[in-house]
Amino acid sequence: MLGSAEFGDAVVVADLEAGIGTLTRLGDEVVDVVLAVVEPTPKSIEVGTRAVALAREKSLGRLVIVANRVRGAEDVERLVAAFGEVELVAVPDDPAIVDAERRGVAPLDTAPDAPAVQALVGLAESLAPVA
Amino acid sequence: MRVAFVGKGGAGKSAIAGTFARLLARRDGPVLAVDSDPMPGLAFSVGVPVTDAPIPDEAVQERAEGEEGPRFRLREGLTAAEAVQRYAAAGPDGVRFLQFGKLRGSSGGLLRSQFAFRQILSSLPEEGWNVVGDLPGGTRQAFFGWGGYARTILVVVEPTAKSLLSARRLARLATVDPPPDAVVAVANKVREPGDVELVARRTGLEVVASVPWDEALADAERQGRAPIDAAPDSASVAAVASLLDRLGKVS
Ligand SMILES: Nc1ncnc2c1ncn2[C@@H]1O[C@H](COP(=O)(O)OP(=O)(O)O)[C@@H](O)[C@H]1O
Ligand SMILES: [Mg+2]
Repeated sequence: MLGSAEFGDAVVVADLEAGIGTLTRLGDEVVDVVLAVVEPTPKSIEVGTRAVALAREKSLGRLVIVANRVRGAEDVERLVAAFGEVELVAVPDDPAIVDAERRGVAPLDTAPDAPAVQALVGLAESLAPVA
Repeated sequence: MRVAFVGKGGAGKSAIAGTFARLLARRDGPVLAVDSDPMPGLAFSVGVPVTDAPIPDEAVQERAEGEEGPRFRLREGLTAAEAVQRYAAAGPDGVRFLQFGKLRGSSGGLLRSQFAFRQILSSLPEEGWNVVGDLPGGTRQAFFGWGGYARTILVVVEPTAKSLLSARRLARLATVDPPPDAVVAVANKVREPGDVELVARRTGLEVVASVPWDEALADAERQGRAPIDAAPDSASVAAVASLLDRLGKVS
């Protein structure tokens, strides 16, 4: 669908299935940026490593590691060690996100100033700078 | 006992299934823990020291020209029980761990071992092996019969809008043909008194266990250790033990 539809100037944000299944089927030049969301856990790093290798192999576009649920410098170091040169954005572990999830509301609406939300605002601005 | 854990991604299927498999093995002999998620999950939660233990190509043969049946099957003469003995990785407490091989690149090539995996599960004799399965998040695999070996389907549900919705859909697994004996809910990451009631009401399922939100599980995850090894005395491991008690009495 991503490859066949005409989106014009619209920004398209796709939330893919967990794992790398969809990534294996994604054609080249379909996306501009691949954001690999990774937690500082061995399981998540393992999946992230495969996703990064695949995105590189297929030259899918700019690659960013979104390091999620980061609790401190140690977590960031662990991810930097795993992903080396890849651009990395850290999003802190934040109870505001957990709370929004429970209530089924968008964190951006209910907790715009929460640290995790602020980190994501920064990420969005770096990808699509506001004119 | 044959059970499969289903539910939305992140609900806690692997953490609970891994703990359940270990406890069941301690109480009731041989357990085969099976992971049909092509990404690593259950191995860590059981405490099996592998992330990649595929069923090898030589265990599988392709259907001959003109023959009936599935495209691939276990090699002539190789029974499901032998395949488990040979290819399932050995874990703590005697748990054996089987997966269909991990998705890596774009090359695919998983088809052979997927067929073998399903054949093993559908033909493994029920005497002798308990089976604990962990399905990938969402509804797709579950409705395509990937949990067909299970007599009891355990829907793991967090008290969040998305997880509840996913679980409500999964509740319809009770109507597949042939139907499992039971489809029930396990409430996970429970923090508030009303959470269990919420899960029961919104999914229409009987809630057979309530697993509290437990920081010890988050820590185990960061260490890459099985919850039962990292936090044997935690409230969440105790809750999984109660789940096992309850299912043991029912079946
Ligand atoms: N009761 C709980 N309390 C706290 N964290 C939990 C609990 N259950 C699971 N988790 C954590 O939630 C995350 C997702 O769990 P996991 O078992 O991998 O989910 P699934 O297999 O359903 O995708 C993991 O980081 C896990 O450690
Ligand atoms: Mg899992």
